[in-house]
Amino acid sequence: MTKKQTILFLSIVLAVCALLIVGIVLTDGLYERTGTIRDTMQDAVLHENDKISLFGLPVNPGLISAYIVTAVILLFAAIVRIFVIPRFKTVPGKFQLVLEEAVGMFDNMAKGSSPHRNKFLGAYIFAAAAYIFIGTLFELIGIPWQSAAGESVTLPAPLSDINGAIALGCLSYLVILAGGIASNRMRGLGRTLKEFSLPISMSFRLFGALLSGLLVSELVYSYLSLSFVLPVIVGVLFTVLHALVQAYVLATLTSLIYGEVCEPYVKKPKKSKEKATKHEVKA
Amino acid sequence: MPLNIDWQQILLHLLNFVILFAGLWLLLYKPVRKFMRERRERYEKMENEAQKKVAEAEEKRAEYEQKLAGADAEIEEKRTAARKEMDGYEALRKHTAQQEADAILAEARKHAARERERAVQEARGEIADLVAEATDKIAMKTASEAYDAFLDAAEKEEKQDGGDA
Repeated sequence: MTKKQTILFLSIVLAVCALLIVGIVLTDGLYERTGTIRDTMQDAVLHENDKISLFGLPVNPGLISAYIVTAVILLFAAIVRIFVIPRFKTVPGKFQLVLEEAVGMFDNMAKGSSPHRNKFLGAYIFAAAAYIFIGTLFELIGIPWQSAAGESVTLPAPLSDINGAIALGCLSYLVILAGGIASNRMRGLGRTLKEFSLPISMSFRLFGALLSGLLVSELVYSYLSLSFVLPVIVGVLFTVLHALVQAYVLATLTSLIYGEVCEPYVKKPKKSKEKATKHEVKA
Repeated sequence: MPLNIDWQQILLHLLNFVILFAGLWLLLYKPVRKFMRERRERYEKMENEAQKKVAEAEEKRAEYEQKLAGADAEIEEKRTAARKEMDGYEALRKHTAQQEADAILAEARKHAARERERAVQEARGEIADLVAEATDKIAMKTASEAYDAFLDAAEKEEKQDGGDA
């Protein structure tokens, strides 16, 4: 590229940017904000004003997102099951490698954390991680939906709805509880109940992490001056990274605690015997 | 409920996730895991077979080495046995030769004795002959003189007869 061409290219880019900025400023007055930023953020957390009707039942937008995400994942899984898995080769191709890595990673995580009972755990953390990861990335698409009040609502991540986060946190706890009881009966129950704070911490960790991304995004988009470049960084930080981190955190925590409660009980040697041994040694 | 927590929606989320979990398990996780397990088992089987074959080869090698060492020992043993046999055979041959030599010697001695006896006998005969001859010679000396006298007498007689005729 010659110097002349470079100057021409930069001039065109600057001219386009200037035109866009002028357009943005001129069109800003056309749309009036329906509420304050406080209302917007309150709606993002509580969804009091943007309920969606699900067969006549008013639900949060997160639930609709959850169903869409589930449908997409299941459709993808069905396509893979029908068209890809029967054609799996001994030496895997790129796509097969990705699938094998994903399944193998969670399978190995389950085996590593809970060597005694891991078949169900592996499948559970795989499903949970896939749900969290794809559910969080779903936010990036921003599918519009009509609320019960007739307003347009952008569908959020399923787990930015506190009900979704509580459901996943509590289900993880129930899976751990079931594993504990199946492995160690009453001792497993006791071990799991000892971790009574787990469902709350898991639920609110998920909810907090995903909601923080949503709130920051809402804040950024609420101000015109913040709408340049910053949304890209914010979107990457709070969506892609959260998707990875939260999926990994929930899978790791669940598998670790599952492994702890499923560990077979080993009787400790009695103290009297230890004392006797010490006396024998002294003697 | 505070924070818009709704038990019904929690249950709806749970239902959604249970369906997702079941679907993912059946459609994706289980078949992929099964494929990976089967492939691992196949490779493990191949590795085990290879190890088994290597072990068998090692065992056979050890066996052959042992056999080789055994063969060496066997060869040495056979060599020793052959040497011993040869020694025995040699000793036997020596013994036989000695016996034969002794027999030959004894025969020779016997023969020599016989020869000597015969020689002595012959010598005795010869001596006797010589003695007889000598005696004859002595006797003949007288006889020849007589013969000569006879011959002279006969010649004289012939001469006389001739003269008469």
